[in-house]
Amino acid sequence: MIGRIWAMAVNTAREAIRNKLLYTLLFFAIAMMAFGAVLSTLSYVERERMVQDFAFASIRLFSVAIAVFVGVGLIHKEVERRTVYTILSKPLSRAEFLIGKFTGLILIIWLQVAIMASCFAGVSLLMDAPLGFAHFAALALNAVELAIVVALATLFSAFTTPLLASFFSCGIWLAGHLTRDLRDHGANSSSEFVREATIWMHRILPDLESFNLSIEAAHQLPVAASDIWFPALYGAGYVAVILALAVMIFERRDFR
Amino acid sequence: MSAVADIVRVDDLVKDVRPGFGLRKKRLLDGISFRVREREIFGFVGPNGAGKTTTLKILMGLIRATSGKASILGHDVSEVSFRRQIGFLPEQPYFYDYLTGREILRFYAKLSGVSQQRRARRVTELLELVGLSAAGNTHLRSYSKGMLQRIGVAQALVHDPQVVFLDEPMSGLDPVGRKEVRDIILRLRDEGKTVFMNTHILSDVEMVCDRVAIIVNGRIRYEGAIDEFLEAGEPEADLVFANLPAEAAVRLEECFGARLRGHGDRIELRIAEKDSSAALRLALDAGADVVSATPHRVSLESIFLSAVNKADAEERSR
Repeated sequence: MIGRIWAMAVNTAREAIRNKLLYTLLFFAIAMMAFGAVLSTLSYVERERMVQDFAFASIRLFSVAIAVFVGVGLIHKEVERRTVYTILSKPLSRAEFLIGKFTGLILIIWLQVAIMASCFAGVSLLMDAPLGFAHFAALALNAVELAIVVALATLFSAFTTPLLASFFSCGIWLAGHLTRDLRDHGANSSSEFVREATIWMHRILPDLESFNLSIEAAHQLPVAASDIWFPALYGAGYVAVILALAVMIFERRDFR
Repeated sequence: MSAVADIVRVDDLVKDVRPGFGLRKKRLLDGISFRVREREIFGFVGPNGAGKTTTLKILMGLIRATSGKASILGHDVSEVSFRRQIGFLPEQPYFYDYLTGREILRFYAKLSGVSQQRRARRVTELLELVGLSAAGNTHLRSYSKGMLQRIGVAQALVHDPQVVFLDEPMSGLDPVGRKEVRDIILRLRDEGKTVFMNTHILSDVEMVCDRVAIIVNGRIRYEGAIDEFLEAGEPEADLVFANLPAEAAVRLEECFGARLRGHGDRIELRIAEKDSSAALRLALDAGADVVSATPHRVSLESIFLSAVNKADAEERSR
């Protein structure tokens, strides 16, 4: 089983690195980091922080863009081009196919994050900005958040068009960053319905703010091990549930 | 018929779809049943839209039947692990064009569980078999339609399956390519494999298939051995005469029920084979010259067309 999933993953990664969008977004991410460095020279105070904030924001934004826009075509392309016919006629289950596709793409996206992180480190060193464990932890949790985004893109890609899948994925990513605030605001509401609704939204939608350690990174605050492991486990569980749902939908699909 | 000898069993298979957002369902397969026996080349023949590809997709687990049963080698088609023993070439196959011929075969070999030791040798063997040895390291994007069809045949055989399913295997091939694919199919049977072939090219069916099923409008119209089809009915003969006098032609029509057609100074007639000697004698006595006398073979095409016409008549009478 592992061999078949790995064969699919390697092939997906080979396909993903041929996607021009990937390089375009990576270029813009690095360009934004460079722009941040130039912009910081105009400031008299907290230049290093400005550079790092810019770089960190561009990593988060562009890596999500790569995850969504490359991920949404993942399954759709296979069905559209009918490559899925020969693949699924082999002794490969639909679940193995889907997990292989997910694994291949997430590996490529993590590679992109590693490249962007290297640029981040380079710019920080160049500007004499401090680098610490908090930065590493923030980037690691960003990688977990990206796994959730890719899983969502895979889920939507399993049954709808790339356009709709990108709307849905972006929508959930945005909502995922707001559910914690919504729940907190909802708790102050006088309406029982609003209170319950915001609690359930927070439970069902991914709580993506739990992967956000940018404040700790920016201020070099101490990060406890539990600040990493709990969100990482939550992320892994969430990815597993989303992929299970994607497999259930994909298993029922007819390839006419 | 023993269960072991039935490699493919299809019983009362029905497939309904609801096109678009319509509430009305459309029946693509209407309770089809057939068997494919061990070590035979089975031709699944029908006009476009008859349900051939739908049936094949159900057998490959790509779509689900609304009702009915389908099994291959005794396994329900929804199972996965037995697919190690089957190969499939879809109609107009598409492959990852950024891979080379060798790489794509290696990829499919990995998916099919071919061991690493065997993989390289098997890929080389197959490239040779389909005549792509020289193009093995070329990217598929540079392949012609015929070359893609050949690589499709190779990927279907990469794991040395027991049963091979081919959807329009000769489509897109030039006469030489068609002959090569026909030879591969015949060789597979000689190696003890079973071949299921979807096609609408009847000459190919006549040349390679042992048995055939004709599907029209989602229903099986005929199923049986090719020879049974072709030998069915009274044998006939085609006689061609030159300088046949008009009175003799009339007598041939009256005495033997001959169907006459004129081509310039030549008269062609079709009669029952048992009457051919008497008809020849009559014509020669009347002073005609014999140009040719050939036994008439009932073609699969005529059976196929009669099945299609019958189905159309049934549709109209509904």
